[in-house]
Amino acid sequence: MVLFNRRQTLGLMGAAAASLATPAIAQNKKIVVGALNLASHSGSFIALERGYFADAGLDVELKFFQAAQPMAVAIASGDVDFGVTAITGGLISLADKGAVKVFGGALTEEPGIEGQKILASNAAFDAGVKTPKDMDGKRFGVTTAGSSFHYMGSKVAEKEGVKLEFVPLQKVGAVIGALKSGQIDAWSIVPNIAGGLTGADAAHEIGIIADYLPNYQVTTLFTSAKNASDRREETKAFLTGYNRGAADYNAAMVDKTADDADALVEIIHKYVYSDQPIETASASIKAGSMRLSKNAALNLASVRDQLSWFQSEDLVDKSISIETLVDTSYVDIIEN
Amino acid sequence: MDIRLDAINHFYGKTEILKDITIDIPSGKIVCLVGPSGCGKSTLLRFAGGLEKPTSGRVLQLGEPPEGCLNTLTYVFQDFALLPWRSVRGNISLVLEDHGIRGTKADAIITDVLARTRLTDFDKALPKQLSGGMKQRVAIARALAVNPAVLLMDEPLSALDSQTRELLMDDLVTLWTRTPFTALYVTHNLAEAVRLGHRVVVLSRRPGRIREIVEIDKPLAERGYADADLEIIQKHLWDLMRDEARAAEEELIDV
Amino acid sequence: MSDTAFANTPLAEETRQSEVRFRGGGFAPRNRRWVGFVVFAVLIGLAEIGTRTGFISNLTLPRPSDVLETIVQLYQSGLLFKHLVPSLTRLVVGAALGASIGISVGVMVGLFSYVRAGLVPLLAALFPIPKIALLPLFVIWFGIDEGSKYALIAFGTFTPTAVATYSAVDNVDRSLIRMGQSFGLSWFSIVRKIVLPGAMPGILSGLRISLAIAIILLVAAEMLGAQYGIGAYILEAGSLYDLERLFAGVVILSLLGVLVSTVIGIIERRLLGWRT
Repeated sequence: MVLFNRRQTLGLMGAAAASLATPAIAQNKKIVVGALNLASHSGSFIALERGYFADAGLDVELKFFQAAQPMAVAIASGDVDFGVTAITGGLISLADKGAVKVFGGALTEEPGIEGQKILASNAAFDAGVKTPKDMDGKRFGVTTAGSSFHYMGSKVAEKEGVKLEFVPLQKVGAVIGALKSGQIDAWSIVPNIAGGLTGADAAHEIGIIADYLPNYQVTTLFTSAKNASDRREETKAFLTGYNRGAADYNAAMVDKTADDADALVEIIHKYVYSDQPIETASASIKAGSMRLSKNAALNLASVRDQLSWFQSEDLVDKSISIETLVDTSYVDIIEN
Repeated sequence: MDIRLDAINHFYGKTEILKDITIDIPSGKIVCLVGPSGCGKSTLLRFAGGLEKPTSGRVLQLGEPPEGCLNTLTYVFQDFALLPWRSVRGNISLVLEDHGIRGTKADAIITDVLARTRLTDFDKALPKQLSGGMKQRVAIARALAVNPAVLLMDEPLSALDSQTRELLMDDLVTLWTRTPFTALYVTHNLAEAVRLGHRVVVLSRRPGRIREIVEIDKPLAERGYADADLEIIQKHLWDLMRDEARAAEEELIDV
Repeated sequence: MSDTAFANTPLAEETRQSEVRFRGGGFAPRNRRWVGFVVFAVLIGLAEIGTRTGFISNLTLPRPSDVLETIVQLYQSGLLFKHLVPSLTRLVVGAALGASIGISVGVMVGLFSYVRAGLVPLLAALFPIPKIALLPLFVIWFGIDEGSKYALIAFGTFTPTAVATYSAVDNVDRSLIRMGQSFGLSWFSIVRKIVLPGAMPGILSGLRISLAIAIILLVAAEMLGAQYGIGAYILEAGSLYDLERLFAGVVILSLLGVLVSTVIGIIERRLLGWRT
């Protein structure tokens, strides 16, 4: 395992990209990629629509899920080959059972780039919850115990020295509803959804996650343990295609060094906010832009922190090691 | 108290069911009503008890009901109509409760009617434990408990096998001999009619009309099984009814 | 051959003799309770052996002994009751509300033509609604705490109970009602002493189904905003892909179902001993 820090990673980027761009042996291999209808999955969308997967010799079919958890199960069952999603207790449990492996990073919190927001409901805000410090004893919405929301809320609470009551609501939609109606007091969520809520005066922003988890590896690339160990060529081919998609996204949407943002929005709009007219969706998609790790570099420090948090909360078995969860042989590893 | 069915006519929609029926049921006598199936005899019984209304004509009570009568016109049903969740005693007490008769007063009445129907030992039994004949005796006991002016009996023995029927007929005769009661007794069984009826009214098939009224003078207590006098009357009744019964049998059912 | 010759008719004994083949029997269920236990034991045994030998991967099924251990731990840590008490409270309050309203409405529908005309279409419209779909709405109406959970379970038990009750009232032997009328019983007496006891078998078998639905809905009710409860425990185990906890929760729910069914069985035996 080779360790890189961020600077080295940036320096070595070109070399890494070159090494990963080796042509795949497989041609037109049919693979299924799991995705959620969220802007954070744009890497897959762009790679598919711009033919980057095809260039890498893969015939990709996207399969959509409502939440991270079922996607992890679908990978374990072999129905989906590759997925992009947050590290959840379920994912770790499945890794422990030898079913899945994390092999790369995707969405990342990065200082200086607008990341996930902490929101307070209008009622709670009016009652004095103006900053995360004021959340003591409040109800914090999560989808399920062991979800990324649970992790974020817990980490924020720890740093602020407050106690939160975590309310499981299963689905993002239900959390939004509960926040709007004041059934819960606070929540953390990606910027485009947060922007939609605060823009409609349905909630107030009281903080940002990046202040608490500066290099938070929000989502990761993962696949079945079998793919990671036995089908390396396909996994590499997937990475090649995905990385090109992610690079396009970062350049146009995050770094704004490319000027094809509108073309990308058009691609993304096919999958995200597709029920809204593109004029409306465009703003949300742009507002929600967060960094996708360059060349799928994985912040192992963050992953390790997440794993130990899940273990400390008794959500997953304490004996699970980071090696069980992560296959570090595919991408650059960031250790800070 | 006597009862009179006065010029009764009845239609179901356009179908004429009963035509110009006038029958007197004198106090202390049993009047049997026989006729082919579908002649409207059960309908007539429902008129008599006020469960249904005839298209025209009246049912009259002549005189006052006897002292202590709780339910002037009381039915005994073919299917017994016992509440399966109540014991024998409970079934009888059911019809007393609504008249505010409870406790010792009710006990006295129940004990009396159970004794009269020879059911004293079975007062705690549930209907499911009883034979058909016993069930009907419970139903009769229940009817007697309200001390009715007139018993309206709707084929009370039809659901029973022939031996039980004979036994129950004996029981009814004994009951009547001890304390004469007034009854309108509907049956399709001619043997029952000649055994129990002081008067037998023969109805024709639909529309039901009175064919003949046969008076039987022989006292109930003297009538017996395979009684020669009764055989003659029964044969006469059968002669009146045979053709009609056959025609009725072959009719298509369209009610 | 004349009638009188019967005694002399010889049997065809000398020609050919064969016993009549028995072809009755069967189709009469008998009480063989132990077979049920054997089936359970064999299935659990197979799962245990399969998971121990690795024939069944730990991704497919948890090891039954591990599930048992999880339940024991749950009990020892006191968490079992922390989960069980709120669940049972929700179940009892919700089901009691739903069933009592259901029975009242069912009786009304059974007795009054106008109520029937007005409510039967409504019940038919409400019955097939997946009550889970209304949970977010209930959260807004009744709050995210206990109110919405009671409401969901109550609503879920209400419709089957109401439908079972009114068909039970419909099926009360009319001749018994006629009898009551012929003895001059008051309307109220007829309802109380004839209609309700007569409808009781139907109501109780309806209740059997409603209460099973209540247990199903318990898990749904605990989807939103419940930190403790068997349903919440199962959902959490599911999202963590923790099969031992998942099955432990499922076993507890099953036991709850068996318990409810047994209780109704006892009530049936006590109240419906009169049935043949």
